[in-house]
Amino acid sequence: MAGQSPRRTRLAIKVNLILVVTLAVGVGLILAAFAANLIASRDQITRRFLKQEANDLYTSIENFMIPGEAPLAVKFFAQVQAVNPGSRILLFRQNGNFAFSDNTTISRVNTNLGTAKFRPREGIVTTVSMPSKPGFAQAAATPPAERFFREDEGGRSYFRAYRPLINLPKCTVCHGSDHTVRGVIDIRSDITDEARGQTIILAGAGAGFFLVVSLLAFVIGAFLRRVVIGPVNTIGLVCSGVAAGRFEGRVATRSDDEIGDLARTVNTMVEGLEERFKLTKYVSAGTLGALRAGEEPKRVTRTLLFTDVRGFTSYTEGHPPERVVEVLNALLDSQARIIHENGGDIDKFVGDEIVSYFQDEDASLRACRSAVAIARFCAGHGVESDGLSVGMGIASGSVILGMVGSARRADYTVIGDAVNVASRLCSLAKAGQVVVDSGAKSEAGPGLSFKGPFGAKLKGKEKPREVWILLTSTDDDAQGNFKGGKP
Amino acid sequence: MKRNRKGLALAIGAVLLALSCAPKAPEVYASPEYPTWARTTRTVLDYPIPGHMNRLRIPRMNALGFTATPLADGDRQRWDFPEDTVIVKEVYASAKPAAGERPVQLTIMAKDPKDPRAQGGWLWITKDLPDGKETVFTGNFCITCHANANEKHPYADKNLKEEFRDYVFFVPGRDNGRPASASGASPGATASEYGGVP
Ligand code: HEC
Repeated sequence: MAGQSPRRTRLAIKVNLILVVTLAVGVGLILAAFAANLIASRDQITRRFLKQEANDLYTSIENFMIPGEAPLAVKFFAQVQAVNPGSRILLFRQNGNFAFSDNTTISRVNTNLGTAKFRPREGIVTTVSMPSKPGFAQAAATPPAERFFREDEGGRSYFRAYRPLINLPKCTVCHGSDHTVRGVIDIRSDITDEARGQTIILAGAGAGFFLVVSLLAFVIGAFLRRVVIGPVNTIGLVCSGVAAGRFEGRVATRSDDEIGDLARTVNTMVEGLEERFKLTKYVSAGTLGALRAGEEPKRVTRTLLFTDVRGFTSYTEGHPPERVVEVLNALLDSQARIIHENGGDIDKFVGDEIVSYFQDEDASLRACRSAVAIARFCAGHGVESDGLSVGMGIASGSVILGMVGSARRADYTVIGDAVNVASRLCSLAKAGQVVVDSGAKSEAGPGLSFKGPFGAKLKGKEKPREVWILLTSTDDDAQGNFKGGKP
Repeated sequence: MKRNRKGLALAIGAVLLALSCAPKAPEVYASPEYPTWARTTRTVLDYPIPGHMNRLRIPRMNALGFTATPLADGDRQRWDFPEDTVIVKEVYASAKPAAGERPVQLTIMAKDPKDPRAQGGWLWITKDLPDGKETVFTGNFCITCHANANEKHPYADKNLKEEFRDYVFFVPGRDNGRPASASGASPGATASEYGGVP
């Protein structure tokens, strides 16, 4: 299972990535647009108010100036500032000097009017340094341009307006016609709280965004994991189990969506596969190989091993059927296991008989070793087998391998003389005896002990065939003699 | 062949697109005929005013503008110049330009209330000569000063009754200014040049 986890992580990471990116981009864009809009409209509103304020002040100043009440204007500015400490209003001459800071204007007006209408003031009203902001020059230029900008100073934020004061025709009477711009009204509005509020809103929105995105990603991710990724992983696990020969896995699903359908299909498929896999037990390896390789019959060399339970018919009569089947199955199963262990192939079970064959190198040696092992097994497990034992025949030679049977039910099986010989030798063998034809004997090599040769009369053969008894234990006599004929 | 035709269609499409996207040719407010337009005042405008100092100014208005007459608006007289009225004010380099000397700048008011750039119903335009472009002012510089035309001011008849004069300082028939000077190359308008009722 541990081997599967990287795949699960990969898919989950991908899905989460897609989710987070989609949400971040989607929600983020909307939120960013919204925030930008909010800030822009707030700025716009502030600007509009500031402009309005500038216009109102402009009108006020104009009206103070006409009757020559400049000092009133100064008072007015101070009062506005007192009422609204966040605001500051200053009036500058075109040259950047603070208006009312000295008597130059008064003396000029008096000159223009030709009378000493205005009394020079004593002392300087205020000193304010000339605005250094670049916008001022443009506000005081001809033609002048209004300036609105934001500035941060001493930890506070301001909106600032430079509103040019134009030398109107009606002003020219006192102030002369030699200049277009009389000065600049400088209005500054403290927006620190608003700016702070904006920052808080932005930070809040950002945090909210982060929270919402993570939450949504988590919830949707969990949902997807539950509904899609989980089942898909389980299906994957079940399938890899099947590939490794484990059929017990099933995908548990109750959903009726496409994934549910897929899960059910996989379950059905695995059940079918399991059934077929179980069936392969009853099909020889040769049949399976032939199915894989195509079904063309071929002539090959094989060593045949036949085994047959001795005295089985009478045994069946004296025992209950359950016991008969149980003992027989145990016997057949042990024999089949031994044959498989020695690289043999079960061709078929015929009642209490096993037809098997061996191929390739050492085929006869392995057939003989299987026979010895089976004989020893029977000798050692007499009690469980109710004393039943088998006789065995081994022959080697050329056989034909092919699908034999009808179109509906066919077996890949061996036919040929060697098959008949082995079958015959098996029927000649007594319980615990292994009768081997001389071909198989010589192929088996010198490592085994044989007794013989004996002459065996085979059906359809004139001359008796030379056969041997394979010694299965060191106790020679236990092997007895061959009933088929004398050596 | 087919491909060529496709290319041609594409090219035509591109040209059409370019044409439709190209900025519209700017409207010319100082019509070439403006020198033949009647003057709005007989006064010689060679005294100093803010912005132009004492450089000679000659304001002219198209015939449409002269059809405007004041109407009573409560107890106030009200002038409303018809749409498409154009007033062109020539500004010369000095108070007494030589005979045949061309102005150095035109300031123009064109009545076009539907134009989004209009302020007080007028477009405020300047044009530097000889070949300068017409610039429409979108700030409130011009109108701020010209708002003074609707109240008492020091020029023409001084608008003592504070008529609403549609932001125009010299409206025809309200010109009690100085008569044309007999000498110099820049006389005031003669009776025939003046468009207002004498
Ligand atoms: C400082 C005040 C002031 C400003 C600013 C100003 N004008 Fe004028 N304008 C005048 C005065 C005064 C007259 C009267 C004629 C004269 O003496 O030149 C006038 C006259 C005119 C006239 C002739 C019509 C009339 O009112 O008699 C036009 C056209 C004109 N101005 C255009 C403009 C334009 C365009 C602007 C902006 C670029 C502008 N003006 C800015 C003061 C101003």
